Amino acid sequence: MESGQGMTELQEKLRILSDAAKYDVACTSSGVDRAGKRDSIGNSLAAGICHSFASDGRCISLLKILLTNHCIYDCKYCLNRRSNDVKRAAFTPDEVCSLTIEFYRRNYIEGLFLSSGVFRSPNDTMEQIYEVVYKLRKIHRFRGYVHVKAIPGADSDILDEVGLLADRMSVNLELPTADSLRLLAPHKSRDSILKPMSRIQKRIVESRQSMGQTARLERAWGVKGLSNGIFKEEDYQERLLAAGTGTGIENRENSGAGGNRLRPLERGLDIRTFAPAGQSTQMIVGATPESDYHMMMVTQALYRQYDLKRVFFSAYIGLNEDSALPDPGSPPPLLREHRLYQADWLLRFYGFQAEELLSEERPNFNVFLDPKCDWAVRHLEYFPVEIMKADYETLLRVPGIGAKSARRIYNARRLGRLDFPDLKRLGVVLKRAHYFITLGGRQMFPVSLEENRITAGLISDSRKKNWELSHGECYRQLNLFDDMKLEAVPEVEDFRKAAGGQL
Amino acid sequence: MKIFLCEDSLEGIFTGIYEAWASGLGHENVRVLMKAQYEPELFAEYEEVKPDAEKSEKVANSIQKKISGEAFRVVCRAAFSEKAKRADAIYRFLIEGFHYGAVILRLLQNPAVAEVFALARKVANEAHQYLEFIRFEQLANGILFATISPKSRVVTLVAPHFADRFPRENWVIYDDGREEAAIHPAGGDWVVAEFPKERADLFLEAYGASDGYEGLWKVFFHTIGIKERENPNCQRNFLPLWYRKHMTEFL
Repeated sequence: MESGQGMTELQEKLRILSDAAKYDVACTSSGVDRAGKRDSIGNSLAAGICHSFASDGRCISLLKILLTNHCIYDCKYCLNRRSNDVKRAAFTPDEVCSLTIEFYRRNYIEGLFLSSGVFRSPNDTMEQIYEVVYKLRKIHRFRGYVHVKAIPGADSDILDEVGLLADRMSVNLELPTADSLRLLAPHKSRDSILKPMSRIQKRIVESRQSMGQTARLERAWGVKGLSNGIFKEEDYQERLLAAGTGTGIENRENSGAGGNRLRPLERGLDIRTFAPAGQSTQMIVGATPESDYHMMMVTQALYRQYDLKRVFFSAYIGLNEDSALPDPGSPPPLLREHRLYQADWLLRFYGFQAEELLSEERPNFNVFLDPKCDWAVRHLEYFPVEIMKADYETLLRVPGIGAKSARRIYNARRLGRLDFPDLKRLGVVLKRAHYFITLGGRQMFPVSLEENRITAGLISDSRKKNWELSHGECYRQLNLFDDMKLEAVPEVEDFRKAAGGQL
Repeated sequence: MKIFLCEDSLEGIFTGIYEAWASGLGHENVRVLMKAQYEPELFAEYEEVKPDAEKSEKVANSIQKKISGEAFRVVCRAAFSEKAKRADAIYRFLIEGFHYGAVILRLLQNPAVAEVFALARKVANEAHQYLEFIRFEQLANGILFATISPKSRVVTLVAPHFADRFPRENWVIYDDGREEAAIHPAGGDWVVAEFPKERADLFLEAYGASDGYEGLWKVFFHTIGIKERENPNCQRNFLPLWYRKHMTEFL
């Protein structure tokens, strides 16, 4: 242990650099299974492990820090922008290594999440990051999880090297459109963000194929088979052919396995795959005027074209004063962020597409209903679903039935009849599901399939939850004549209906 | 009604089940309860069962052979539960299991199966949460020492994970309620041993030393939360208060 003085100094650095890193969302340690070794420290579980939960309820899985918060850029939304007068600090690579190892030994963390402000130049910064990861892996023989941010603008050679040591890499998209990016992050361009992203994707594909794996990442059970899902296999092949030279990976796709011996195997490292947990990205919600529809379309495109493992959303927190930004102190749009995550789950696990959930005419999510319920009440033609007969895909689309319970139903019904209490035991949320299902031809309660009635029932269940989520501040006040299914302000027509008792 | 009282161990429960089955009184006329957790009934005959390695081995073997290895793991997890009904639940599950064979694990609509499944899931979830929430402290002699107060008996379920993760460390995971510990010598295999409270206290007194990293972790933990998003309800949902008893960041 170092002297008392060194400790206080380290403490101060840790305070500054974890404070600066806390707005990054991706703190997951999932996606890679790696057993321990006798002469090393650490292992990794594909399911991921959260080690603690901070006062905001977000999980703490990785030691999330910046290498430095010195930055040559001046992105308007960022706390560490050049023009802000904040305390600056920088870790040395050895400090980061010893913090990581010592925290890991005490089971505080699952590994390291390393990001950084851009110090001197993107390449300089990326080299420093490389030094940290190299030392962790080779000198400390660390087999835990490492998530590294790729700095936009760094040379692809350095990215290639880092990716061979890290488990996950990410480049933050930050804003969904090129215009917003130009407005808020004048030093970054859409291109400088997408370039490293496709570079990383290309490397991942090469590495996977040289190991005899499929070009695309593994997904949750059954998801690739869903006929309407975004991860459908044939769909991907077709799009590659149609795109011609889109991502630059089509040659690998067609050259067949075994033909190439690629970089990963040439290395004498014990961790040779390129970013085995895939890559992720993050977008800020609420700093710019994009609609939910726009956000979802971008998200879907990222999954399809770049095969990202995850897209994260981060509710914008007003930190900086700027005419291009919402006022500082305005509450973060937490409910909107929550709805986007719910929709992201529908894309990744339930075989929905963004176009089904939203459209140009209906660009934002319903404040009162989650996206799945919202979809269901607008598509009553698919319901009721007969639990004993419906296929897996149809079961997945019923509100209140998740991937796990759909699978359990699928298994259990082959061996005998089910009744409603059984469904409850299998994990189905009957409170939501009962409107949409029949069991042996009978409903649980005699409820007619009417949009308004079901909506009212569903809303009365979830209103409290939504209130808590939004703290009652960031969304509009309820008033007597609100039609709760609609995002838009009620119109004269609605008032008339309400008065007539038709609503 | 004849009630067999068994001791709180895998061996104890399996022996109890063996005796109840072998008594030949018919399944509806026997029950298997935990000796330490039962409420006496009128009109019932009680018999205490001494754990017997051979008999419990027979039960374990027939579960693996006649049902499946997976079923055996589920039964073991259920036996680690703290619920008083666990022994009898396993008994009822085995009646069905020996009848249906390996498909029994899918037959969740059967109440006996659902019961054991729920017990096992609860234990597995708790064990997983202990993978997350165990906190080691480094003692003056370099040993990593963790104290836990779990509801279920999780030490044997979490030890393999840490043995894989820290093969070069000396570590101890000590369950202060059951007074037992998983002990792992550097480079060796882990064992579970009795670890009386007095000994644990002596041990900690002799070597206990907090080092600077605990302070650093607290600093990190408190800065990483975003003030504008504060949400103690959500935090409690994921990390219930009773887990926090031995966690560094809440001490």
